Amino acid sequence: MGLYAGRILIYAVLIVGTLLTFGPFYWMAVSSLKPQGEIFAATLQLVPSQPTLEHYRNLLARTAFLRWTFNSIVFALGTTALSLFFSTLAGFAFAKYEFRGKRMLFAIVLASVSIPQFVTIIPIYGLMVKLGLTNTYWGLILPFSVNALVIFLMRQYIAGIPSELLDAARIDGSSEFGIFYRVIVPVIRPAMGAAGIFVFLNTWNQYLWPLIMVQSNDMMVAPVGLATLSTLYVIEYGQIMAGATLSTLPILVLFVLMQEQFVAGLTSGALKG
Amino acid sequence: MNWPERWDQRRRAPYLFIAPFFLMFIVFWVGPIVTSIGLSLTDWNGVQLPRFVGAANYRKLLGSAEFYIAVQNTLVAALVYDVLMVVLAIGMAVLLDWRHLPFRRFFRASFFVPVTMSLAVVALVFQLIYAKEGGLLNQLIQAMGLPYRVDWLGDTGVALWSIVALRVWRATGYYAIIVLAGLQNIPKELYEVAAVDGATAWQSFRRITLPLLRPVLAFVVITSSIWALQLFDEPWILTKGGPVNSTLTMVIYLYQHSFQYGELGFGASIAYVLTMLIAVLSLLQLKLFGAESSR
Repeated sequence: MGLYAGRILIYAVLIVGTLLTFGPFYWMAVSSLKPQGEIFAATLQLVPSQPTLEHYRNLLARTAFLRWTFNSIVFALGTTALSLFFSTLAGFAFAKYEFRGKRMLFAIVLASVSIPQFVTIIPIYGLMVKLGLTNTYWGLILPFSVNALVIFLMRQYIAGIPSELLDAARIDGSSEFGIFYRVIVPVIRPAMGAAGIFVFLNTWNQYLWPLIMVQSNDMMVAPVGLATLSTLYVIEYGQIMAGATLSTLPILVLFVLMQEQFVAGLTSGALKG
Repeated sequence: MNWPERWDQRRRAPYLFIAPFFLMFIVFWVGPIVTSIGLSLTDWNGVQLPRFVGAANYRKLLGSAEFYIAVQNTLVAALVYDVLMVVLAIGMAVLLDWRHLPFRRFFRASFFVPVTMSLAVVALVFQLIYAKEGGLLNQLIQAMGLPYRVDWLGDTGVALWSIVALRVWRATGYYAIIVLAGLQNIPKELYEVAAVDGATAWQSFRRITLPLLRPVLAFVVITSSIWALQLFDEPWILTKGGPVNSTLTMVIYLYQHSFQYGELGFGASIAYVLTMLIAVLSLLQLKLFGAESSR
């Protein structure tokens, strides 16, 4: 009997947990489909009386949402590509070579993981102003192209590759960069994928840095652009929810398709560290 | 290629491989961290040349009542968030670790979903949930027949907790997955031995699970605190630090002074004091967990 009651309790907890988890997602999607007058209705309305796509049409027609999304994609992909390249190459050096200063350099990189981003923000902003890189993709991307956590992860993965593989490639006449390109990269591709998802999502979700770096409406990334809609004189909540839905949906689809890699990527810092 | 030449290449290669990383690392980490100290001793609006003012910024900061409000709000929010989140994450992880759980993979995945949503978007969605007139929460309260209507973001005594709740909603599942990985590393034989010795479920949780989870929990608490102390996106979008500074956080204070009032030198001094604060707190947490695990 006690076991039975326990089961019921567990099911109840699971149902409540699931409702709480998906509730805000549901509310976002459903609000984006409600006619203007129903979004803040006086009584609870779980389903729109007359679903409409007008907010989606208006969002695309009256705001720069598509441009913001494009900017977000460039920002996230550019950051991911650069930081994977820099970090994997350097991680390879730290994992498989002996050189002077190695320990000290690596210690410096590791120490920087725990330094909060905002301490660098003001000098970097000053630098970007001086270089004329505000309101540009480079201004957004470059500061995030070095990621100490990724270099640490890459070194861990590469250290697990047997050194005999490298020596065999050397005997075959491969250059040192050739070893990296033809031996290391193919082997650690899954790890790079996981780290790539980690960097991509972190960048996609950035708010503070793009808010500082970009003032022109055309260069805003999606989260910043959407948030500006909620500071207008007349706030179109339907449009904001339509934009929120559109910018969340692709990530959700990717998550469903590549669950294992997502979870591995986003928790890799924890589980390797 | 002959062998001496080959050896030479092998000696030079690592330096070439780390060069791009360290170039960027110096320009975007080491350099800024060092110049920050210098900037914090100047009056600088980002346009004209910085003017040296000595410790004036630090004096101004320590004499500002708003700064203490911001520190207090941030610390209180971080503490409550950490405690709530860790307790819920452990509970969730224990549940997900239960072998007879139906749809275990489904639940594991779905609890993880909120963390994939950007904080800014979460804030925008919760604007509709927390609205005083016609917000989801007040509608639910009304539908249950209760006579309350709470101003979730407009009431000085409530706003900060609304923001903490939003954070807990987004992060708990993520940390639960990390705790779950820690749980699965605990050898199952330990529980079997304990069961043979007549230990109750609570006793084996208290005596086996919690102590062996300590390193994972230390990681969770330290990283989540570092994030919580940088609270910015949600209060900035939802309340701009208001009402009456009740959700003013340290990073909002930093952002306003640096980028809205153009006091970048003063901003640099705020950044330094905050960094020191975070460093001290992280060290304290590390000490706490380290001391307990060596008991």
